[in-house]
Amino acid sequence: MNSDNAKAQMRKGVLEYCILLILSRNDVYATDIINILKESEMIVVEGTLYPLLTRQKNAGLLSYRWEESTQGPPRKYYTITETGRQFLKELDLSWEQLIQAVQSIREKHNK
Amino acid sequence: MKKAISANIAGTLFQIDEDAYIKLEQYFHRIEAGYNYSAEGKEIIADLEIRITELLIGRIKDRSSIITIEDVNWAIGVLGKPEDLGASQGNQSSGRDNPYYRVVRRLYRDPDNKVLGGVCSGLGAYFEIDPVLIRVIFVLLLFVGFGPLAYIILWIVIPKAYTVTQKLEMHGEAPTPENIRKYS
Repeated sequence: MNSDNAKAQMRKGVLEYCILLILSRNDVYATDIINILKESEMIVVEGTLYPLLTRQKNAGLLSYRWEESTQGPPRKYYTITETGRQFLKELDLSWEQLIQAVQSIREKHNK
Repeated sequence: MKKAISANIAGTLFQIDEDAYIKLEQYFHRIEAGYNYSAEGKEIIADLEIRITELLIGRIKDRSSIITIEDVNWAIGVLGKPEDLGASQGNQSSGRDNPYYRVVRRLYRDPDNKVLGGVCSGLGAYFEIDPVLIRVIFVLLLFVGFGPLAYIILWIVIPKAYTVTQKLEMHGEAPTPENIRKYS
């Protein structure tokens, strides 16, 4: 097991949370979500995002609409739904708990 | 010399080299197979097609440029391998189990190994026997009378293998990247 794999697994778990966070302020088009996540080094390859978006949309957390683009193909703009907002609240809470839990383990057991 | 074709990706028309097109098609097929051809997989592929269109538009200088295998490899590098795309691992067998790699064998005239019209080399590829043997039979048929006529008819009737796809079909080989390189 190498550290890259462990890092990738860690990132994957919080990726869904990050997508909802990005969408919580305003509607965003898929490529912009990619750019934000790439900048913050949350994703390495772009393709990882699409299955997550599709799954969240099918779970009713997101919805989308099409908008025409002058530069290329039409763009899919994602919106967070009311269910998505509820879900995000829960994730906010569990994120806080997770950080606290890891922090306390680190303090106790990491010299 | 390479054959370029027109491809419509997410509503945008591209001129694309045939090997690059096959590579791209295989990429999407592997993802689709990884999702068991489900509606979810189709939706993800539609999204990926849109993204790859954006990437390719950004990469080529003007729309009339031809997309090469390098462009496609680069775009796939940006998007990630099918395994990275959350497709279930177990379903991505390459090789003969994969429906996309299903082997088709068709009779063509073989322009790469021809002596006259490529009829004998084409028949050789089809039946997997040495074309020299078939040539010997045709030479013997010269003395029977209908031999030359038979050859000319076959020359007319059997299509010539122009494209990589046709050459793969002629040899009955799967469209794997290695085989495609062999004939392009």
